[in-house]
Amino acid sequence: MHIFMVIFPIFLTILFTLTTIPMLVWMERRVAALIQDRLGPNRCNIKGIRLGGLIQPIADMLKLLFKEEFYPKHVKHKFYYILAPAIVFASSFLSFMVIPYADDVHLNGFTYHIQALPIEVGILWVFALAGLGVYGIIIAGWASHNKYAILGALRASSQMVSYEIAMGLAIVSMVITYNSISLNDMVHVQGQLLFGFIPAWGVVLQPLAAVIFIVTAFAETNRAPFDAAEGESEIVAGYHTEYSAMKFALFFMGEYIAMSAASALIVTLFFGGYQIPWFNTQTMHEHIYLIIFLLMFFVPLTALAFISWMKFNNSCSPERQRETHYVSMLITVFVIILESFLFYLLASGMNPEQNSIFVMVLQIASFAIKMLMMNFVFVWIRWTFPRFRYDQTQHLGWRILLPLSLFNIFITAIVVVVAGV
Amino acid sequence: MGVKTVPRHGNSFKDKTYLWAVFSGMRTTLKKFTRNLSDTNCIPTCEYPEAQPDDITDRYRGMHRLTHRDDDSVRCVACFMCATACPADCIFIEAEERLDGIDEKQPSRFDIDLLECIFCGYCVEACPCDAIRMDTGIFSIVAKERKDFILNKEQLLSNKGAFGKENSLA
Repeated sequence: MHIFMVIFPIFLTILFTLTTIPMLVWMERRVAALIQDRLGPNRCNIKGIRLGGLIQPIADMLKLLFKEEFYPKHVKHKFYYILAPAIVFASSFLSFMVIPYADDVHLNGFTYHIQALPIEVGILWVFALAGLGVYGIIIAGWASHNKYAILGALRASSQMVSYEIAMGLAIVSMVITYNSISLNDMVHVQGQLLFGFIPAWGVVLQPLAAVIFIVTAFAETNRAPFDAAEGESEIVAGYHTEYSAMKFALFFMGEYIAMSAASALIVTLFFGGYQIPWFNTQTMHEHIYLIIFLLMFFVPLTALAFISWMKFNNSCSPERQRETHYVSMLITVFVIILESFLFYLLASGMNPEQNSIFVMVLQIASFAIKMLMMNFVFVWIRWTFPRFRYDQTQHLGWRILLPLSLFNIFITAIVVVVAGV
Repeated sequence: MGVKTVPRHGNSFKDKTYLWAVFSGMRTTLKKFTRNLSDTNCIPTCEYPEAQPDDITDRYRGMHRLTHRDDDSVRCVACFMCATACPADCIFIEAEERLDGIDEKQPSRFDIDLLECIFCGYCVEACPCDAIRMDTGIFSIVAKERKDFILNKEQLLSNKGAFGKENSLA
């Protein structure tokens, strides 16, 4: 049990990063299609089971895996050429390590942090690795020995450098507000209520910092509308022009993990982290039976809504009707098992240990849902806005966001000193 | 000539904050997204092999056919007007004498190479007897070999008109 509870957050990190990549690629393409009145990839299937296109990422991955390992002849420093995608991938992967997925769990007298890397300096770790990710991009641009690649690398690195300042200053104001640099403490503060009914989320306490941080997070992950670094209309594909097959896939995955990490950080700092609104850890421990009852009520409702949505939208051919039938049967079985399990918990009563594990599972689920929603916002924004011109990006970073974030620190500091919090 | 002053936008404080424009843009895309997600029938995309297009008009120039007389014999009199009009030279006709007394001449061979055909419809317009039409509504022409794309007289005669119109519209 001891070892399991230590390994568990690391397992969760892998789950939240590696296994969400296919989900995110799928989400990106389907959401883009639906926003543009198209259907998106939905034809890939295994024996008629399409899962709405979720099979497509498997096909994509297989294609990238079995592609030829091609090394351009003009690349002189092969070591750096191969090192670059690894740095990008690893640094975005590692920055995920300090995100708390649930509150500290007390079991058998031990306290377990549900963080893969339970260090107190969480936010600094994220910063350090976000800064390190730029090296991968610079090395990629340089080692590719290609004008477009080096232009892309230049753009990406200068953009990251200039937005990191505004981002850091936005975080400084959050640190002043929460009075801590440990991410878990920050989430603890967000579990309280303002005036007794508003969840004290960072976005409520510091709306300006939230806007600045979200904008800079977009720039930092090189996502649209700040993806001039890979502006295909002028510099082909930017820093990964010369990369193919799995080396390209590593850049691609690194980008998506960076997006996940950015949304995890945004959720942790501004949207209450793993906290379920109005139910902080204390309240959940006190009202555990009410929560189980609510779950027993809402889970079948959600499942029913999903099944009826599927019956309405996924029945245009006999093959897809069959698929709908299978999937709805699977969901029904799952819901029945979950309901009977919850009923068993209600009927047999729970000891404190079961209690805290149950709360942990709920908080992880809440965190996952919030993170996916934030990822959806990333995708949503990408397909809403056109790309910023490069000088506009720099203008926004240095002349608008930087003074704004300084101003915000000023105001925050005055409020904290005057109110004496 | 008066000078028209076009009002300039984007100078008010509200416009300069960008955020309102950002949110209104996001609202537009979210509206599209939720509408299309809740009812995929809103999406104009036709899921082609399962769902066939239903918007083919009767003027659509599809695969050719040779029409029949009232007694089901071939209407074509092998006048070569269509082959002469054809800009792609894809119609190959060989004529023979017609012995059943209905007419004087009929095609013994009437081939259309669909790989050469550009579906311009000039043959239909050139025909003095309304013997060739393109109103079958067949838009998907598939075969495994090149020679299978050459339609002969029997195949052309067996094609049916899709729109039930007596007079050619093309």
